[in-house]
Amino acid sequence: MVFKNLEKIAPIVFIGPAVIILLFIVIFPMIYSIGISLSEWNLIRGGNWKFVGLRNYYYTFFQDPDFYTSLRVTLIYVTAVVGLELLIGLGIALLLNRSIKKIGILRTILVVPTTMTPVVVGIIWRLLYNPELGTLNYFLELFGFKKLNWLGDPNLALPSVIMADIWEWTPFMALILLAGLQSLPREPFEASIVDGASSFQMFRFISFPLLLPTLIVALLLRVMDAFKTFDLIFVLTKGGPGLITELLSFYTYKYGFKFFHMGRASALSYILFLILFVITQFFLKYYRAGEE
Amino acid sequence: MYTHRSKKKILNVILAIITMLVFIYILFPPIMLFLTSIKKNVDALRYPPVWIFRPIGSNYREIFNLIPFGNYLLNSLIVATISTFLALFIGSMAAYGLTRFRFRRSKDLSFWILSIRMTPPVASIIPIFIIMRTFKLLDSPAALIIAYFTFNIPFAVWLLRSFFREIPREIEESAMVDGCSSYNAFFRIALPLIAPGLAATGIFTFIFSWNEFLFALILTGTRAQTVPVALTGFIRETGIMWSHMAAAGVLAMAPMILFTALVQKNLVKGLTMGAIK
Repeated sequence: MVFKNLEKIAPIVFIGPAVIILLFIVIFPMIYSIGISLSEWNLIRGGNWKFVGLRNYYYTFFQDPDFYTSLRVTLIYVTAVVGLELLIGLGIALLLNRSIKKIGILRTILVVPTTMTPVVVGIIWRLLYNPELGTLNYFLELFGFKKLNWLGDPNLALPSVIMADIWEWTPFMALILLAGLQSLPREPFEASIVDGASSFQMFRFISFPLLLPTLIVALLLRVMDAFKTFDLIFVLTKGGPGLITELLSFYTYKYGFKFFHMGRASALSYILFLILFVITQFFLKYYRAGEE
Repeated sequence: MYTHRSKKKILNVILAIITMLVFIYILFPPIMLFLTSIKKNVDALRYPPVWIFRPIGSNYREIFNLIPFGNYLLNSLIVATISTFLALFIGSMAAYGLTRFRFRRSKDLSFWILSIRMTPPVASIIPIFIIMRTFKLLDSPAALIIAYFTFNIPFAVWLLRSFFREIPREIEESAMVDGCSSYNAFFRIALPLIAPGLAATGIFTFIFSWNEFLFALILTGTRAQTVPVALTGFIRETGIMWSHMAAAGVLAMAPMILFTALVQKNLVKGLTMGAIK
């Protein structure tokens, strides 16, 4: 009898715990956070929450010029890293697909940048970019160029961080696209060889359209992650010089845990959340179409 | 015909060289880190860089005396291990439930779980910080275990779901006809069948927890600090302790590279949460 009842509620026993935990540790705090974003509350000055309605949002949108700077930096950053990583990654994938029969151990080397601790990635690039003793400046001088202040020069700081991000994530793109290329059916290629197609035509009219679903999944995953970039900024530049590399995630962190202005930080985090929510919906829609 | 063939040969050589350059480009930065970690600090600070030097291992020893690096390693190990096992347990149950039971909106539920994976950590860190503070859990491993375990559930559910889907349900169904309960079917039949998938998922969640920085930075202080946060401690007002930081960095990343080598076969699947095989 007990056995029969247990069997009836099996779906709940299996799925329930995960749902409850997610509700408690993710969804409930997110709702709680709406409350904070509608209040004025400074963690250091103490005191109680003061309900201020939409003032934190109003401040962010209409009175805080730094928000737009940060938003612009973030959009430039995401577009640049994802675009370049996709292009270079596709190039590497095509190259490996052609020149290497079995990828084996090379695959592990390829994802070293992606699976190693992001803070260590930051440390490595800080070491390479160091204006006095960095290897990059050493090579520049070796070839007769002047030393550069990679992370300190306002014109160079953002491209430098972007370059580190590209090193970290391009192999990830390449690996996914390579997997996509290797799973393509052979028949269309054989048929096109018989028809005398050039290798560019083969890429343009066969590989590319067939690879498109993989490409979109990789692209969306990367866009979502790029919006969240934090570790690299924290180690490399702390958003500086000025606000040149101040990504939204870092800006939000600064409001919350440097200025302890929890209300404004929560408002900022909701804005970031909404941006990502829209992108996520695209991803899910696409993913779902593939599942069904 | 002859010229065509030799042209092709030249092209192949060029492509091989480019491929090699790509791998050198990928490996050069970590190699520089390793070289710095086996240099004396004076050598590490020398410019132009010295390429020939007597390698030393003392940096690796010294970091354990300079800072309580052993504790931080232990913290990282504890947090990553416990949160991984919890996420695997809860995640595999949910994944099994979502693939095996037919009920209304099961698909919506799966996608709701996936969408949680997409929320930016910086958006949830503020309320979680306040909640942990209220429950006096700040600077304790428990805070990080709870956070990592929860945020790894969606990943684990999705990846395990893709593994469960690959095993035919008939095996379990025939067992259940013989009177085996869903619970037995899960623990005795399905779970052992996806053991490799379970291991791969666990390795991934371990890597994520080990590497995580933002939550560790905000939820821990001096006691429960994990390795990534400890690494940033080498950047001080008085300057950066390069060779020591490099040694600590090597110790932080080496196990992750090893783990990556272990999941080779499921690497792409894991990195895309089962979207691409």
